[in-house]
Amino acid sequence: MDGKAQAEKGVNIGIGEYRMDSSLLTSIGLGSCVAVVIHDNRKNVGAVAHVMLPDSNGRNDRPGKFADTAVPTLYNLLIDGGSNKRDLIAKIAGGSSMFKQFKGNLDIGQRNVEAVKEALTKVHVVLVAEDVGGTCGRSIIYNPSESATVHVRRADGTCTDI
Amino acid sequence: MELNAKQLDAMRELGNIGASHAATSLSTMLMCQIDMTVPEAMVVDIADIGEYFGDEISALVVFEINGEINPGGYVVLHMPQSSAIRLTNTMLGTTDENRDFNEMDESALLEVGNIMVSQFLDATATLLGIVMLPSPPALAIDMAHAAFANVVSMVTGDINEIILFRTELTSTVNDIASTIVMLPYENTLGRILELLDKLVDLKE
Repeated sequence: MDGKAQAEKGVNIGIGEYRMDSSLLTSIGLGSCVAVVIHDNRKNVGAVAHVMLPDSNGRNDRPGKFADTAVPTLYNLLIDGGSNKRDLIAKIAGGSSMFKQFKGNLDIGQRNVEAVKEALTKVHVVLVAEDVGGTCGRSIIYNPSESATVHVRRADGTCTDI
Repeated sequence: MELNAKQLDAMRELGNIGASHAATSLSTMLMCQIDMTVPEAMVVDIADIGEYFGDEISALVVFEINGEINPGGYVVLHMPQSSAIRLTNTMLGTTDENRDFNEMDESALLEVGNIMVSQFLDATATLLGIVMLPSPPALAIDMAHAAFANVVSMVTGDINEIILFRTELTSTVNDIASTIVMLPYENTLGRILELLDKLVDLKE
């Protein structure tokens, strides 16, 4: 992919990945996973993680995968990049539940959302908007250089900006 | 998770046998020829699942693997929306392709999934000499990646790679494409490999 196509399409954050950038970031097909966005209002940069599970249980080989490690990782990336604590806001999307009948499921979506919120409280970043829960998948598009707006496209065809 | 070439080959063969039985059942249901791709057994990093499943609306029929290895993992039958609609049209005798899913489609898809995945599991289990049974199915009509990742999150904890066990079944007459994916828990995969090794040794 050439540079221009890359810029138009943005960088997709896959499961367990995270990235800080000032240009277009996407995360497609969030089911029970949660996309965490921390935006710096002053510098117009942001960081996104695609969280899959609530609790790392001490594992740190892939910090973007777990709520309790992803949030501090994004926070530290921004602070180390020169952001001020007071300029940071958070938005989250995802955490739906599609397969309630399976015992392996155990409300992963809802637990992801709760764990992300708890982790945000710990680093004192205010959660200003969310589009979570329900039974349908979501994709997000976020361009930190333009604004803090996160476009959420749902599997049922509806779109919202948070 | 490290699988050597021989193990991947054995998994591919296992998938081949399971999928050909599923294909036969689909072929009987649709009364037409079903073609099958050479099965793939791939170790895929969870971050790269998006390369295999995008955000296009699809039908996913999901089963838990029960039986001797319990809980064993999941089997997923994936079909893009257009294929799923064509399939149910064929079954129900309707023709409109540009429509949303209705209750009849959903029930037909559950039934197709049930028949195909039962055949898939039965054939693979027979080869392994164990009993594997599908749970009652669950259906999601959603972005393929979202629904699939939801299933993946139920099997992955310590691991960052999954074994994607994939065969595409296509019918040229009806232009239907579908994928069967098996997502075993890590210990299930270990058990399957053990049984396969035994089989291969027996033959030598």
